[in-house]
Amino acid sequence: MTEFEPTIVAFFCNWCTYTASDLAGTSRLSYPPNIKIIRMMCTGMVDPKYVIKALLEGADAVLISGCHPGDCHYINGNYKARRRVKLLKEMLKRFGLEEERLRLTWIGASDGLQLAETINTMVDQVKKLGPSEIKSTMVI
Amino acid sequence: MRKKIGTAMVVGAGISGIRSALDLAEFGYSVTLVDKAPNIGGILSQLDYQFPNDRCGMCKMLPLVNRDSSSQYCLRKGLFHENINIMLGTRLTNIEGEPGKFKVILKQKPSSVDPDLCTGCGECARVCPVLVPDSFNMGLSERKAIYLPVPHNIPNTYTIDFSSCTRCGECVSACPTGAVKLPEEKRKNFNILVVDDELIVRDSLKEWLEDEGFSVEMADSGQTALDMLKQNTYHLMLTDIKMPGMDGVELLKEAKKDLPELPVVMMTAYATVETAIEAMKQGALDYLLKPFDPETFTPKVLEIYQTLEVVQEIELGVNAIIVSTGTEYFDPLQSNNTFGYGRYPDVVTSREFERLLSGTGPENGLLQRQSDKKPLKKIAWFQCVGSRDIQTNADFCSSICCMHAIKEARLVKEKLGHNIETTIFYMDMRAFGKSFHQYKNQAQNEYDVCFSRSRVHSVTENKELGGLMVQYVDQKGTRNEEQFDMVVLSIGQRPSSGTKELARITELPLNKWGFCESEPFSTSLSSKEGIFFGGSFAGLKDISESVIGSSSAALSASRFIHSIGGSLSSETDEEIELKDVSRQMPSVLIVVCTCGKPQIEGVEQEQLKTNLLRDPAVNDIVFIENTCTALGLSNLKEVLEKSNANRMLIGACLPHVYTGKVNQLCKGTGFHPQAVNVVDIYSQDALKAKDEGGQSLESIIEQKLKMGFAHLKRMDPPLAPIASSIQKALVVGGGIAGMTASLAVADHGFKVDLVESQDQLGGNLFWLKSTIEGNDIKELFEKTVKKIENHPLVKVHTQAEITCSFGSVGNFHTSAHSKKEDKPLSFEHGVAILATGGKEALTTSYGYGTSKAIVTQKEFALNLDDGSINPASLESVVMIQCVESREQDKKNYCSRVCCATALKNALLLKEKNPQVGIYVLYRDMMTTGFLESYYTRARKEDVIFIQYDVENKPEITKDGETIKITAFEPILGKNIEISADLLILATGLAPDFSDAMAGNFGVRKDEFGFFQEAESKWRPVDSLKEGIFSCGICNSPRNITESIATAEAAAQRALRILGDNKILAGSIVAQVHPSLCSLCERCIEACPYDARYIHHENTHVAVNPIMCQGCGSCAVVCPNSASALAGFIDQQLFDVIDSAF
Repeated sequence: MTEFEPTIVAFFCNWCTYTASDLAGTSRLSYPPNIKIIRMMCTGMVDPKYVIKALLEGADAVLISGCHPGDCHYINGNYKARRRVKLLKEMLKRFGLEEERLRLTWIGASDGLQLAETINTMVDQVKKLGPSEIKSTMVI
Repeated sequence: MRKKIGTAMVVGAGISGIRSALDLAEFGYSVTLVDKAPNIGGILSQLDYQFPNDRCGMCKMLPLVNRDSSSQYCLRKGLFHENINIMLGTRLTNIEGEPGKFKVILKQKPSSVDPDLCTGCGECARVCPVLVPDSFNMGLSERKAIYLPVPHNIPNTYTIDFSSCTRCGECVSACPTGAVKLPEEKRKNFNILVVDDELIVRDSLKEWLEDEGFSVEMADSGQTALDMLKQNTYHLMLTDIKMPGMDGVELLKEAKKDLPELPVVMMTAYATVETAIEAMKQGALDYLLKPFDPETFTPKVLEIYQTLEVVQEIELGVNAIIVSTGTEYFDPLQSNNTFGYGRYPDVVTSREFERLLSGTGPENGLLQRQSDKKPLKKIAWFQCVGSRDIQTNADFCSSICCMHAIKEARLVKEKLGHNIETTIFYMDMRAFGKSFHQYKNQAQNEYDVCFSRSRVHSVTENKELGGLMVQYVDQKGTRNEEQFDMVVLSIGQRPSSGTKELARITELPLNKWGFCESEPFSTSLSSKEGIFFGGSFAGLKDISESVIGSSSAALSASRFIHSIGGSLSSETDEEIELKDVSRQMPSVLIVVCTCGKPQIEGVEQEQLKTNLLRDPAVNDIVFIENTCTALGLSNLKEVLEKSNANRMLIGACLPHVYTGKVNQLCKGTGFHPQAVNVVDIYSQDALKAKDEGGQSLESIIEQKLKMGFAHLKRMDPPLAPIASSIQKALVVGGGIAGMTASLAVADHGFKVDLVESQDQLGGNLFWLKSTIEGNDIKELFEKTVKKIENHPLVKVHTQAEITCSFGSVGNFHTSAHSKKEDKPLSFEHGVAILATGGKEALTTSYGYGTSKAIVTQKEFALNLDDGSINPASLESVVMIQCVESREQDKKNYCSRVCCATALKNALLLKEKNPQVGIYVLYRDMMTTGFLESYYTRARKEDVIFIQYDVENKPEITKDGETIKITAFEPILGKNIEISADLLILATGLAPDFSDAMAGNFGVRKDEFGFFQEAESKWRPVDSLKEGIFSCGICNSPRNITESIATAEAAAQRALRILGDNKILAGSIVAQVHPSLCSLCERCIEACPYDARYIHHENTHVAVNPIMCQGCGSCAVVCPNSASALAGFIDQQLFDVIDSAF
């Protein structure tokens, strides 16, 4: 049997993490193809329904990443994301979603290496967890 | 966008140059931004972190209105703006013509990698056999001879460093697009004349140089050389100094008579270095030190060749020139005490440390001991290395190193954990900005950074434990020794290497430290008309001061251009109008770039085509080779012109590379830029997948294209909204800042209403007489008031108070009440500049109010002026600094002006009465920049400085008319008592910025009561609410010159908006579907820019598209999906998510 290859949907902010992914590209750092990057203007515009939608469609994990606290191009979008994700995690836990399957990180534009590391660790973690069951558990 | 008539050139593309260029470009002028480096960003391209947020934030400098005209991504990656032409690797070599009609000569370095062909794939660097220290990482890592100057920059064009290139040609054959061309044959045409009386020297030099491909001829004496110069053309002469008969210096003089342009390099033994330096003053280009060996000689000559070899000389006509070439860091090896730098690998400079901290640095941000790569436990910072040091000709304070060191110490704690010990050895901790002191306190209290007021005298290696031993003397005079793993030298600033040359070209004088100084009361005016200084070129400035200074330079330049007739009319670009494709059925053209590795081949292409064409919305799929190159783009344009598609998806690599290119393409074809989406299909993972035999390449590419396609399918690109704007300004406050701002705006032809609550204009200028430098404040006051009164476009309303204001950028309505006429006033204006000023703070400390002999600094100035204080009768004067300042809950900021005022007063008293004893009790002397020299002078003139701590303040007792001050003298280690017949208290500055004022204009106050700027570094005079600006003391504590600079900066920021009667928003802005809106107002709360309001019919929430910056916060909080962000609507994102599986 071939190894389980998880699908991770990633919402990256245009200013920091999306730039870092670009840098990871130029610096020839590798990260696995499991990650599907969606560019957002800010982590503050990542609606929880997008996260839920991704999980329902079959994502084994969701990664949201943006600028460091205090560094948001739009003043405080990342703080909004932080509160929102914390609440969302609480909620999703009740549907049986493991903590590791939703992550919010701060990765600055010059941290290409950190991005590659974050993605690699996340893929490894989710591989260990196996496929997400939330598709079935969340459907009422 | 509409362009104004007028061109400016900005020299130096660091943070200051970028700010000036953007300011002028946003107003509508064409700007040429040149830099000798192959990249923009200057020093900041190497700094990943800046305080106070310990991160970046440079992107906040990008345009806020008309955003589509510029890049909208990380500014450290790159910049483009429709009105800015960036020329890199370019030097300014000459200025001719009249002010306003300058003819500038630029020389651009030859680029052997064609930027139109280079795709940045990196094949060339892979095959390059040369390894040299990487200057981007301060030599801490290595790079190839063909390299990316800044790894994260866009465009990512490779550059060849010819001084290390061996011309093996590997890169030429490796380049898949043929972008690399070595200029080998050019060297054959470069004739060098070697003059030396010793045959062996001549012969070996000839051999070495011919090996490098040059044509070389020899002469054995000065006379022979002169004859040869007459007969042949030479491009470079290398001459020995000591020769029988005519010596080298004489030959230089003679040769320069006929051939003034001939570059001459002196060759000298160590004994005659002085002569060589002397020769340089007579026109020699450089000198080379004997004895020679090919390893050092050849690179040096190649370096000279590099500077001489010019591919292009460009002549440009410009109206004004801004010089902002910044500063350079001091090299500790130039100092007598190097603290082991260069000898011990664990001693690094602050700039090197910054690279070590960086994720793109030599060690990927993993901090470790340099000598043995062991973990770090203790790090020390030494302040004032190459600053405040007469021995290194630096009787000035570099002004940035204290905050630099604090930031680094905090970052270390964040990265390596709080167990790591950090100590900063310093003389005075100059945390002199509004929020700096608090930042320092946080470092001390929350991050546990140790601050040690002491002098380090030496550093030795710790052979037993590794690391270093630091020997230092503390304030009491005790000698101490301590082990550290690493020492960071906080190196100071020096004028940049090109300053001398620029001074020569512009014919401007340099001060004794080699800086160009600006005119009195200005940071940007030079003594030459039409030439202005931006940023730290004219002095030592941190980021926010540089940003302010360069906006002020932009204002001065813009005002000058206007005065010579520019900007009066504007020309409209002959643009093809953008096609409105909203509401059209999507028809998407998919372009796949085929330069990727591995390449997708014929069969895979067909498969991809078949799969994608299943969607009826796909118009066609084309495969273009090297899409990002000039050829690729012209092919793409051809395809696009033939196609009837209304949207386009480009699958390539590095989407940001395309932003500028797509914009240009769209301009030529009328295609809406927002209807183009670029997705990265070639990032490393695709390659890896193929290697590992996972998913097939075309399936990965297909999926990525599908995600991009899904986003584009429902893209309904609206044309950017346009709002009308009133081209009038309101300025509140008639002090020097308000008056300067009013004049700055009015001089551009816009009407200004200036509202002042007092009965006269002037503010603090009423009582100030002269600055510490001796500049006449009274004259400034009278001149400015006269200008205001005579200006036809400035209307002054004294004795008037603002009562209320509403509206938004471009359309404000403000009412005021005039006490003089007892009637209401009303103003309609597009922008408002708040300059309500501040006052000397009041105090009750140190017995103030109990004796006539205890006065504040202001009272002292007034008393001296009216004669009630007679300096001749004084015997002993004590000054106490930081009265009720920089303390918890008591003006916890530095007022910036009091230390300089104390020195001014002390020097004045000493001048009038040399016998008077003056004692200054201080906490940290904040004599930043060139003010330091006055501190030195005061000490020389026997003013006694006694340092005190906030825990141990001086105490006051009175004995009749005499005041007794008891203070702890740290050097003696005991209390001393001083009898004084005058005590002057430095009470600092307090803002005059009421809650009502802030509330009326919808801006915030900071915790100290000053105006809260949008961002202290990047937007220091803006408020978060677009259209409201502030300057002067109500913005932050400042002296007159600095206040004027902020006023000019605020005016320049205002002019961006006043420049046109229409304001163009960005295309990515929020929208509201009125029928879905339930008026819950959550979006209004969520909007950080106050861009949302309830529609006047009270039916729904509306958006001001000009203020909206497109963050999308409102769309998330809307419970009904009534709010949406154009280009990121729910359906689009759902489709994208769907297509990811």
